[in-house]
Amino acid sequence: MNIQLAPTGLNPFDDPLDRILAQIALSIQLPPSLHAMAKSRYEAVRRHLEARTAFFDQIEHFYPQGSMAIDATVSTRGTDDEYDLDIVSQLGGRFRGMAPLEVLTELEAALADYPVQRVLRQTRCVTLFYADKMHLDVTPSLRVYSTLDRESLITHAKGPRRSADDRFVDMNAYGFAQWYASRTPLELRMAKEFHRRWLDHAGLAARADADVDDVPNQCDFIIKNTATLALQLLKRFRNIRYASYTGRIPPSVMLSYYAGLAAQPNMSLSTMLVRLASWIIRDIEQASLYRRLLHVANPICETDVFTDRWPESIAQQDEFAGHLRELIRSLEAMRKGEMYPDTMMDTLRGNFGDRVVTRAADQIATEIGGGIQQSRQLYTRRGGLLLPSAAAVAAAIVNPAVSVARPHTFFGRKI
Amino acid sequence: MTAAILSIDEQVAAMKAAWPQFSARQIDRRAQSAWWVGSVRPQYASYSLEIRYELGCFPEVRVLAPVLIRLPGNSEGQLPHVYPPAEDPTLCLFDPREREWTRTMTIASTTVPWALDWLACYELWLMTGRWTGGGRHAGQDLGEARETTR
Repeated sequence: MNIQLAPTGLNPFDDPLDRILAQIALSIQLPPSLHAMAKSRYEAVRRHLEARTAFFDQIEHFYPQGSMAIDATVSTRGTDDEYDLDIVSQLGGRFRGMAPLEVLTELEAALADYPVQRVLRQTRCVTLFYADKMHLDVTPSLRVYSTLDRESLITHAKGPRRSADDRFVDMNAYGFAQWYASRTPLELRMAKEFHRRWLDHAGLAARADADVDDVPNQCDFIIKNTATLALQLLKRFRNIRYASYTGRIPPSVMLSYYAGLAAQPNMSLSTMLVRLASWIIRDIEQASLYRRLLHVANPICETDVFTDRWPESIAQQDEFAGHLRELIRSLEAMRKGEMYPDTMMDTLRGNFGDRVVTRAADQIATEIGGGIQQSRQLYTRRGGLLLPSAAAVAAAIVNPAVSVARPHTFFGRKI
Repeated sequence: MTAAILSIDEQVAAMKAAWPQFSARQIDRRAQSAWWVGSVRPQYASYSLEIRYELGCFPEVRVLAPVLIRLPGNSEGQLPHVYPPAEDPTLCLFDPREREWTRTMTIASTTVPWALDWLACYELWLMTGRWTGGGRHAGQDLGEARETTR
């Protein structure tokens, strides 16, 4: 009988390069406290809206979209600790027949007294700014009936007055999240380790231990798949590269689409990141070759175009491809051991930001140095050093002649 | 019962079995000495190591390539846990006072893995400025050393 085993994924903390990349991803992650806060906040916003006459009995669905729907939230562009979260508010019959700007202003009015620092109407949503730097975008939508589940129209209106450019835009964020989830199934080994460290990172070590066996069922936040970790790193890379850029930047949803395409079981994190970046480069090159703009649409709703506001020119998409080529070159050099640690740190800082890379390296230094002090490491036949977690699954490469590390004390001089 | 002192042939055989990428050079049975050269990659980068040993002396480990990077002004010194001279440092992998290495031990099971530990700590030191692998420098008392390595 053939038994199909689900791929468990590779533990990114087993490989030196993947370890630092995963540690960077941990640092840019929405922390557990804010994740819980985000959930309670969007529930509170829904309750607030439903208590308003205009919205009473008019909210058909209220659900996360974007990074929160696929567990790929990272800190906002130009920051290390600000997070943008997106909610879709699917509205009922009262809003049908209204102009896009009217829907937005109704929502803005209903949220005007909401207890946050600021309420701002934007082109497609109303943003709530919280004191702890969290931003919650509430996007009103109207269901397009007789289409796939939750396919909707969202508003596009700059305001403050009506304009000929005002319109409804087709979208299916819910369907896209389902598609993404189906492409990136749970890789249990990778997910457990990342989840444990996510809680540990936030000082929730006791909970980390308790939750390890129940991760998929009992915790609603978990990075399930290596492709999602790679996606977070790519988003962070984009945020750093475009930190001082004032125009539109490659959209997260487009990057998520490519992560869904690139996902493949049991791939190392650095390999996945290279694969994801290469996929985007290939499509950009193809588009530029024919003097076309990159066109990426929602795979389950072709009229929901992810690239409708970026790129605005071929030069813009070529610039992004250039950044991605640099990322790939640097990762390849690190993977081959051609880059020495000091240069590697400079390069990682350039790619992912100073503070998070410094913090990631510090964490790794403490962990590995501590392991060496306690003689917990093992060695490979080729002269590599393994931490105990890696050794457990890498028995074949452990050097049998040097089965355990003998305790020793570094001595000598400072020169 | 005391353990037997290992001959150079026994050291060479143990090295060959454990670390085939290290090739033995200049085995001198009369002087009971040998040296080995091999390439390793403990974490991020590859290094060429040379190990020299003569019965009666401690094994000497050098990094042949790449040139070890110094961090001037670092609290651990420009290059920590080495023996001078500065222009040709050898790695200091154990505390002689604690008798962590004796002639009854194989270089294969001590010196080589300890050199891998040193290189891993050296890389992390380059990345963070902190030597997290513990140890003590000559002249530093044991209590102080333990404090500074935590």
